[in-house]
Amino acid sequence: MKKKILMVDDDVDLLQIFKPFLEKAGYDVVTANDSVEGFELFKSTKPDAVFVDLAMEHFDSGFVLCHRIKSLPEGKSVPVIIMTAASHETGIRFSTQTEEERKWIEADDYLDKPVPARELLAYINEKIFHA
Amino acid sequence: MKIEQADILVVDDELGMREGIRRLFASQGHRVDTAETGRLGVEKGTLREFDIYFIDLKIGDIDGVEVLAEIRKVYPEAICVICTAYASIDTAVETTRLGAYHYVAKPFAPEEIQLVFDRALERRWYILEARRLRVEQERRLLEVSREKSRIRTIINAIDDGIVVLNQQAEVVLFNPQFLKLLQLEHDLTIGQSIFEVLPDQFKGVITDIFEQKDALKAIKQEIVIQPPAKLVVMANSTPILDETGQLLGFVSVLRDISELKQLELLKSQFVNMAAHELKAPLSAIQGYMEMVLDKSLGDEPDIYDGYLRRSLERSKTLTTLINDLLNISRIQAGKVRREIERLIPAEMAEATIEFFKNEIHKRGLTTELDLDKTLTVDADREELQRVFTNLISNAIKYNREQGTIRIAITSDGRYVKISVADSGIGMLAEEKERLFEEFFRAKNYYTRNITGTGLGLTLVKKIVDGYAGKIDVTSEYEKGTCFTLYLPMVM
Repeated sequence: MKKKILMVDDDVDLLQIFKPFLEKAGYDVVTANDSVEGFELFKSTKPDAVFVDLAMEHFDSGFVLCHRIKSLPEGKSVPVIIMTAASHETGIRFSTQTEEERKWIEADDYLDKPVPARELLAYINEKIFHA
Repeated sequence: MKIEQADILVVDDELGMREGIRRLFASQGHRVDTAETGRLGVEKGTLREFDIYFIDLKIGDIDGVEVLAEIRKVYPEAICVICTAYASIDTAVETTRLGAYHYVAKPFAPEEIQLVFDRALERRWYILEARRLRVEQERRLLEVSREKSRIRTIINAIDDGIVVLNQQAEVVLFNPQFLKLLQLEHDLTIGQSIFEVLPDQFKGVITDIFEQKDALKAIKQEIVIQPPAKLVVMANSTPILDETGQLLGFVSVLRDISELKQLELLKSQFVNMAAHELKAPLSAIQGYMEMVLDKSLGDEPDIYDGYLRRSLERSKTLTTLINDLLNISRIQAGKVRREIERLIPAEMAEATIEFFKNEIHKRGLTTELDLDKTLTVDADREELQRVFTNLISNAIKYNREQGTIRIAITSDGRYVKISVADSGIGMLAEEKERLFEEFFRAKNYYTRNITGTGLGLTLVKKIVDGYAGKIDVTSEYEKGTCFTLYLPMVM
């Protein structure tokens, strides 16, 4: 059975780029434009992995969405990866997050944007599904 | 140490006595006045102060003791020598008790009275000298206290916080601003150790100063009292040395640099935001280009047309964004050269609608215009054009299919009112509040496909502000938004 990936980003172009590419590579991809839609889709589609943009409605929408997903019983074991272009510019350095913050967010990994499609695919294959 | 010309008063009812004393001392250059009665003696002797009084104890009208008492009442330090023919231990004691300096027994030889006079004059000199010193000291004290209070007033009036510490780091002097800048709630006491009251951030600086043994130099340090930039002070601490180079203490001057820090913070936030916003379209363009080159979706060129079109659109946004950024920075730097001319806003509105004809048609929008062509404003054409372009393109982008755009140009007598209303997606209250913030864009279900820089309205507001105008916004979520501009009318 195909693995299902949920991608949440307010930039529709990035979704349009990744969706057909990852589908071609054999994944099932569902997309959402904001964190509210993302959370609903998570519950209804039960993806195997989630990629979330950090700054959507608010600069930290991705953190909040990640926390909400991880708070669900079915969300505990699903890897959630936060993607952001903001890490350098806004001074949000994940390495400087406190233990408490990291525990609250519970993100499995962080990726710096832009992530070329091939690299994202390799990451999904190797790091997430250990193919 | 001598009184060259003494003023002497002789009170005696015996002419021979008065004249004898007068001749003796006048010949030495002194000024001698006389009184032949006790009453006259009191009168003369209290009118001004003489250096030496010779008073006969037994005068006709009133007693010499009384004369002495009256004079000493007015001049407590008067030097009075009592002359008495009834010299006895008793009278001597009595008169000295009443304040007489000395007494001589009549009859006396000139050298006897001279001796008493010389000593009395010396005593008088000491009294006068003490008096002079006292007056001078008082004057100096007054001066010092005036000087002190002057310096105090100056120090208190200085906008910087000042504290002076001695070698033991005890407070010697401080001003109210010092307490305020460090947010110390209680007054300091002179002599109190500064370590008892200082915030931790500042203690280090003081410890450093006291610990640097050989190289005593000024230390400058930024202290964040309320992070990140609510209250930041720059502490400039300079040691006070004596002439041998020994540390006496130090003075610390605290300057409030919060405003500067806030500006720095705003500036770096702006740069970060700008970088983030510039990166977003680039990420998309890059992603599309990789897809096109990668060809993993197949070899058909048609598949990639959409990718190229979106790339083009995003790159156009990027250009607009850069232009907007440059315009904002020009306006902020006051570098805009305006060419003011008389403009008819109605005509510019029509031209802008014409410019966007295709977009309006594509989305099936209807325009309703209520334009008063007699109204004019004095403005720079390019700037006013930018205002119309921004507002009308927003009214197109954030409208719904088959919606309406209403543009009205009217006047309330003082201002030309330009309103641009759409029947589109509207805004939530919180979105409306942040509308003119740089880079702010409402992000919701409806706006996901709309591109923009988040700088358009910031720019519009800055332009309108530049003409002493104002801008109002009314909006209802899912119903539409109306922007109304007020520009001063040309009468």
